Amino acid sequence: MRAPDHLNPRFAVLNGVRDAIPLLGAYFPVAMSFGLIALQSGLNITETMLISTLIYAGASQFLFVSMYASGAPLILVVLMTVLINGRHLIYGPSIAPWLGTDRRWFWLMHGLTDQIFALAHTRLPQLHEDQRMGWYTGAMLLAWFSWIFGTAVGAVVGQQLTERWPLVGEILPFALPALFLVLLAPRFATRLWSIVLGSTIALAIGISLIGMSNAAIPMAAALGTTLYFILNANTKLTG
Amino acid sequence: MNTELWIAIFAAAIGTFALRALPLIWMQRHLRQRDQQGVPDAGPPLFTVLGPTMIAALFGVSLLPVSTTPASTIAVLIGCLSTYLVWRWTQSLGIPVAVGVAAFGVVTAMQPLWT
Repeated sequence: MRAPDHLNPRFAVLNGVRDAIPLLGAYFPVAMSFGLIALQSGLNITETMLISTLIYAGASQFLFVSMYASGAPLILVVLMTVLINGRHLIYGPSIAPWLGTDRRWFWLMHGLTDQIFALAHTRLPQLHEDQRMGWYTGAMLLAWFSWIFGTAVGAVVGQQLTERWPLVGEILPFALPALFLVLLAPRFATRLWSIVLGSTIALAIGISLIGMSNAAIPMAAALGTTLYFILNANTKLTG
Repeated sequence: MNTELWIAIFAAAIGTFALRALPLIWMQRHLRQRDQQGVPDAGPPLFTVLGPTMIAALFGVSLLPVSTTPASTIAVLIGCLSTYLVWRWTQSLGIPVAVGVAAFGVVTAMQPLWT
């Protein structure tokens, strides 16, 4: 007997791929810029592709390449590349309640970028338990492959493409804030969450504007979380 | 082949992977122990609050690279408003993003006409 569609593993993978399609608009142009910059910094195509395939972390890849090109000691390059992703420490624990105990999840964490985390945090609770790994695998693989493919295109023909269609590179990255907005929108359902999330967004923008863009995400999130617990405790006290 | 560079790439890759994977193992173990001991859930745990605030912070930071001038800020506002309105209408993921990008693109492309 054929399993119903919502319990079919292939359906779950395709569902994940479909949900991750909006990421392409954001990943592709950034990955292309990375491919272009890496080659201009003196790396060859193999090294550039290896970085996008194995490190697979936007900002830290740019940092890796620029520090390497400036002649910084490699140990420092590695340390900074890893440390800049410190915020990733909380992504796994945040989605752990929906992942179960399957050991394959450990290896799938390679694809847990900022965007896949945001997508998974919203979609995993809505999915049937049996569908979660398939969905995550589909979403994560599409994002990863688009990053690798974008890097390759950037490394090979990036210069010609950006010269010919400069506006495309300017417009497509808007897919990223648009996606985060869609993921956040359902959470503005209560006054408490609206205040907390609105304040967190304002704090992240403010901290970035004073030049601390790397610290902005963990700092704003920590302050927003503190605000949540303070307001929540006050609500309970005042009944 | 630059051996030192390759070692640096592999070291950075292992470090980044460890940041993503090891905390999950720790949390899975913690949840298993909590289930076995039958500890009751004491209100909203830290990570269920930290998740949405991280997404909010990511949203705030992602607005800045696309909003570098007053004119592009208007494009961002129109793009966000279009995304939100289409989300209210469709309650889906892909269509609001596509419409938001299109709205942002149209306003960005028209900027030379009104700046």
